[in-house]
Amino acid sequence: MAKKMKKNLLKLLLKLVLIVVGFIGVTFVVYFYNLDMKLTSAMEPILTHFYDKVKRDQHL
Amino acid sequence: MAKSKRIGTQNLGRFYTEGKVRNRREWRGLADTAYDYSRWLYNWFNMARIVLVKPRNIKAMFRYRWMGNYLAVPMMVDRHTQGLRGEHLRICHAEQDIIIEDVAKLLDKLFRADRRIGNDTEFNKKVVLIDENAMQSVMMGFPGIVPLSREIASTYIPVLLNQRAALHYIDIAQEYGLAGDVCPMPEAEAGLVIDDDAPIVGCCAIQCNTTCDGSLMGNGVVYKRLTEEGIPTHQLAVPLRHREDDVQEYAAQEIRNAIAFIEEHTGEKWDWAHYFECAKRVNFATRSRLEWMEMSKTDYPQVFGSNLALYTETNYMVVNGRIPLFNEADKKISALAQKAYKKKKLVANEYRHRAIVWGVQSHYYMDFLVWLLNCWGIIPLTDMLSMVSTKIIAEEDTPENREQAIYDIAWLTENMLMRNRTHGGYKVLLDELWEFVEEFNADMVILWEHMSCKALDGMHGQFEEKAREKGIHLVWVSHDLFDPRVISRQGVRDQINSYMRTVMREEPVDPSLEVLSDEESW
Amino acid sequence: MKDLKHLKYFEDLLQEANNELVAQAKAEGKKCVAYVCENTPEPLLNLEGVFSARLRAPRTSSMEMATYYLTSFLCEYSRALLERAMEGGYNFADCLIAPDGCTMINRAAENMELLHTMDEGKPHFFYEHMEIPMKADDNGLNLYVLQCKNHILKPLHEKFGIDVSDAAIRKAVEEHNKICRLLRAMGEYRKLDNPTITGYEFAVFTLASYAAPKYLIMDKLEETLEELKTREPDEKNPFRVRVVFAGSELDDPDFVKLVETTGAYVCADRYCYGSFPGRDPIELTDDEDALTQICRQYMYRGQCPRYMDPPKMLGRRDYLDKLAKEYKADGIIYEQVKFCDPWAYERMIGSHVLHDDYGYQVLSIDRPYNASGVGQLRTRVQAFVESLEIKKIQGGAK
Repeated sequence: MAKKMKKNLLKLLLKLVLIVVGFIGVTFVVYFYNLDMKLTSAMEPILTHFYDKVKRDQHL
Repeated sequence: MAKSKRIGTQNLGRFYTEGKVRNRREWRGLADTAYDYSRWLYNWFNMARIVLVKPRNIKAMFRYRWMGNYLAVPMMVDRHTQGLRGEHLRICHAEQDIIIEDVAKLLDKLFRADRRIGNDTEFNKKVVLIDENAMQSVMMGFPGIVPLSREIASTYIPVLLNQRAALHYIDIAQEYGLAGDVCPMPEAEAGLVIDDDAPIVGCCAIQCNTTCDGSLMGNGVVYKRLTEEGIPTHQLAVPLRHREDDVQEYAAQEIRNAIAFIEEHTGEKWDWAHYFECAKRVNFATRSRLEWMEMSKTDYPQVFGSNLALYTETNYMVVNGRIPLFNEADKKISALAQKAYKKKKLVANEYRHRAIVWGVQSHYYMDFLVWLLNCWGIIPLTDMLSMVSTKIIAEEDTPENREQAIYDIAWLTENMLMRNRTHGGYKVLLDELWEFVEEFNADMVILWEHMSCKALDGMHGQFEEKAREKGIHLVWVSHDLFDPRVISRQGVRDQINSYMRTVMREEPVDPSLEVLSDEESW
Repeated sequence: MKDLKHLKYFEDLLQEANNELVAQAKAEGKKCVAYVCENTPEPLLNLEGVFSARLRAPRTSSMEMATYYLTSFLCEYSRALLERAMEGGYNFADCLIAPDGCTMINRAAENMELLHTMDEGKPHFFYEHMEIPMKADDNGLNLYVLQCKNHILKPLHEKFGIDVSDAAIRKAVEEHNKICRLLRAMGEYRKLDNPTITGYEFAVFTLASYAAPKYLIMDKLEETLEELKTREPDEKNPFRVRVVFAGSELDDPDFVKLVETTGAYVCADRYCYGSFPGRDPIELTDDEDALTQICRQYMYRGQCPRYMDPPKMLGRRDYLDKLAKEYKADGIIYEQVKFCDPWAYERMIGSHVLHDDYGYQVLSIDRPYNASGVGQLRTRVQAFVESLEIKKIQGGAK
């Protein structure tokens, strides 16, 4: 029983470690290759298109 | 001048692309890269926690054109951390990250109060809309009030993030007949209001005549819209000749009137205990800044450049001791700076010239000072925006000090950054520059010529003559503050490049930075 | 119409800042107080023993030296003044009083000081820069009074021994009012359907009252007023429409002439150097000191856009509306000297508000300092006159 629990715990820990390592690995790649900015810069024209369509009460 | 072992990455220019963003981030060695990565992650986490998880803020993202620029926040940090290592990287993050958090909170509060978005009417009852150009020292005794500046969020910060952020608003103002030669900052703010792109917040508003004629007059456009929106507005007039004794009573009375106006419209009462708590923190920030300045007078300056300017703008002008977290940042910066100073660390590979940076910086190229250091080895020891009041204000709650406090608030308001130099007569702009040159042992003055800033333009010839007289290298760097169409970032750099090559006959420290393809860059 | 007897004399007088009347007053032993902004209370500069000359730079052509000091981004008025000062054109002045009315004029005055343009060989010469209020209220009034004491009366007394007592100030106000009343009376003839004085002629007389010692032009203005009483207008009114001319600093009457040659009669002049509100008499009572009363009236009547409080902001448009009604104007011309920040904004807001809220036809123009070579401007004014005329013919609203 104790062995099984220990095994489960180890599995959980391993999963956790894998998740953390995976998270760090993925986010580090995003960080290092500036993928976050590359993505947001691709979003900008879409947003601008949207802003042009917003109804506004333009006056002095 | 001083040289160190390799500090920063060589060939920083290779990160630039012709697009909006850089090709990748810098490798700074394992420890520093890991640190920078962790701060990057922290900033994204903070922005998500404060802004992105709330539906109302997403709604605002699709309502306000200027919100699109906030996509570029991490890149702004990257621009300012270029080439930094060790303590200096950490100092920069201490400055930048707290500003990011503060701005994220500002956005969140703005949209919570905004009648179009969150429309939290109870919250709005305690929100006072503050002119971007006003020192927020008048809020130091109002712990229950939330002062918000919509211009900081909509025009000031966005241009730091994206060099083209204000162009739409500038064009709108000119379509309505505003002359094209006025300062583009109040011009963009006027355009923003005309374009109906400003959040509608606050139970009342305070406008201010700092910083310049354009800013004063732009208030008229904003006032018109505020009146339509039913927001009562008070104009806080701040004397121009702020060093004169015979204007101080006027300034103090203006503060009393502003406090009375806020009390009337918010139902809050001025809290002296809170005021003096804030005053202590203001003094702490002043002492910290002075300590950093002292280091900058030596061969081993540690806290300087655009990071200091941005941090001072926030801490001195907006925070005014109201947010304790900024004192923590001050302490952290001081500790890191002391550590690096003891080790005689340099911030970049090579120091060739010691410069005082004067005038109004190009807002669309705030990280120019980083470039100056990395490309040509010119240390921007201090800049005009950081040379604000160093007066220690009354901080003990006594009857005499309560009277003095009003004069202190007035003094701080009069000495809002930039206007403390652009107003007040030629002594504060012209004469004191040469005193700083001597004090900081500088051999060069980098003089930003914000072309539509009439207060600076008006001293052009005097600057040149005095520099010649004193044998100081004075390099003009023209720009148009918010509008890179007039002079591009490369146009800004070229002015330094040609001076350094033709007059100084020098080669750049990092030649890859001399010409950069950042025309389209954020 | 038959020419006014003294018009030519005044036109000639305005060709020089250092005109013959300035020289005459100096020869009589009076000290000349030069000043550069309408927010400087004139009676205080015209106490017994001193006279005021508001600086201008007629016939300015090159401004190269001043452009070096101030750059080409400062308004031509400030550059023209500095250029003239550097040329020695204001050597007649015994002091310069310059309020920080706007940044550009402040910088021009500071450069005059730094370059020692006027003080060479004059041990008593002084430059004074004064703060003036930005809001019309009690606090502003206290500031105004204190600044006038410290930066006008005190140095005048200490340097030149001028009597600055309340009685002396009241006497100066009396003299000042004589000129104001004369000009107001002359200006009344602009209300006629077929007016007996042109806007240009009136601009010349008004301008002379700023640029020359007042006591030396009094007799000629009195004579001109008499002349106007019997002056016969042309049978056919040469003007097709009537306009209020409003805006920034303007000290070249040729702009008014330019407008009038297109067929628009300038029936009211609301610009710095104009008569509204600069030639409003100052009414004094005995229950308060004269200085405070002068400052109060200057502050409340001032139409300078640097006043930032709502009653003043809104009042500026209201003031034009009242003028337009009183002088039966068909439209309004908003002018601004190029690179003037305050008027850049005021012109934009005012031209929209007067059109949208008050229903006036408005022409909004920016212009150089002097009127030479402004052909494009003539075309724009002509087009405006035609549009006003069409509207009149069609029987539309104002």
